[in-house]
Amino acid sequence: MKARLSWILAMALLGLGRASAQSDVPILSGGAGFLGTTQGGSSLFQPVVAPVLTVPLGEKWLIESRADLRGVIFREDGTTGPYQGQFFGTLEYLQVDYNANSHLTITAGRFLSPFGIFNERLSAIWISKFQDAPEIAAIGTGVGYSDGFMLRGALISNRRYAVNYTAYFSALSTITKFESERAAGGRIGVFVPGTRLEVGASYQRKLQAQRMNSVGSDISWAPYRVPLEIKGEWAHSPSGNGYWIQGAYRLSQLGNENSAIARLEPVFRMQQFFRSELIPGDSLPLTNSRVPELGLNYYLPHEVRLNASYGRDLVAHSTNLNVWEFGITYRFLFPLWPGESK
Amino acid sequence: MKHRIFVAAVLICLWGDYVAAIAQTSTKRSPNKSNSNPVGTAAGLPSEGELRFQANCGRCHNPPESLSPRTARAVVRQMRVRAMLSAEDEKLILEFLAP
Repeated sequence: MKARLSWILAMALLGLGRASAQSDVPILSGGAGFLGTTQGGSSLFQPVVAPVLTVPLGEKWLIESRADLRGVIFREDGTTGPYQGQFFGTLEYLQVDYNANSHLTITAGRFLSPFGIFNERLSAIWISKFQDAPEIAAIGTGVGYSDGFMLRGALISNRRYAVNYTAYFSALSTITKFESERAAGGRIGVFVPGTRLEVGASYQRKLQAQRMNSVGSDISWAPYRVPLEIKGEWAHSPSGNGYWIQGAYRLSQLGNENSAIARLEPVFRMQQFFRSELIPGDSLPLTNSRVPELGLNYYLPHEVRLNASYGRDLVAHSTNLNVWEFGITYRFLFPLWPGESK
Repeated sequence: MKHRIFVAAVLICLWGDYVAAIAQTSTKRSPNKSNSNPVGTAAGLPSEGELRFQANCGRCHNPPESLSPRTARAVVRQMRVRAMLSAEDEKLILEFLAP
């Protein structure tokens, strides 16, 4: 049995190599980092590696996958006691994409649930301006991943505007490491390239024992004239509703692009969540909460980024907490096997 | 302890500046720099590919510091799916990154 599996694997790798040799070389990219958090006196340290594998097959097909391999190191009793660690490995997506035409890509497999902009676009550790996800990230995405199929692409795309869409169906899966919920939904967005402004609207219907609708909207704006990025989301579900909005300003206008000050990026995020109904396992704050956060990113050469942030978790009917975070992330990208440039 | 952290932070910043100065002399292709214009117009204006690159890629993440033509193809193929680019966007951005 093992010999057969080895044979099949060898043939698959050979086929992969040949297919890639005929078209594009597969790449391994992603990020690695070390993240630290201190919340209300309890510290947590997380070494993380998030590899992304991209394998183009011919002109139409693409296989892509991202994993999150993370250790969590913490004190036994929260603030005292010896440190202990646990390891978590998550397969975030493993999907096959087929570029049917200029306006349609068909995706099958495990993919990031397309609701809003955070989960699909900003959740990677080397992209996210803050280490932790917004509190409302679970609205419309559930566990964050879907197992099923998805249609996506640009309905209209010209110099003035583009309309993009995503529609998906996810099946229920209880297989370890491949958990997902039965749901359907999608997102539609309008992007204006001249101003780099995009607005979007998302919808998800959970098709489990409890049938629930979630809706959301998002905005993303990165003007050309100033190195400013503004992003935000609002989302509503039967559990509650909330928003986050963040601004990041790279100080690249204050000096040479390689100077120390030009590599700094102050960031600010404000988020609020209003609880409507307690639904077990919804991964949302138990009560109303408000979290203003301030941070500073420093972009070193060679794709290394340092970040630090402070937030105040203002929880209703409970003790407010200070949240300190720091981290270092490294973004990598290289071809899977050596060769000459085309 | 705080003093040590401060000294370490200062040393890291100095190291960053030093490496940045070294990097300035490098001739690697950098899509991050506005003057990298491999298929630009004769007047030195940004090409259509560079414009599409700036519009679509730079709004979610910082451009990678360097990309070889060999890896650029796979990156753009992936970003076509992720960023929902049209086939024309994909072609023009690839022409810019890997002329």
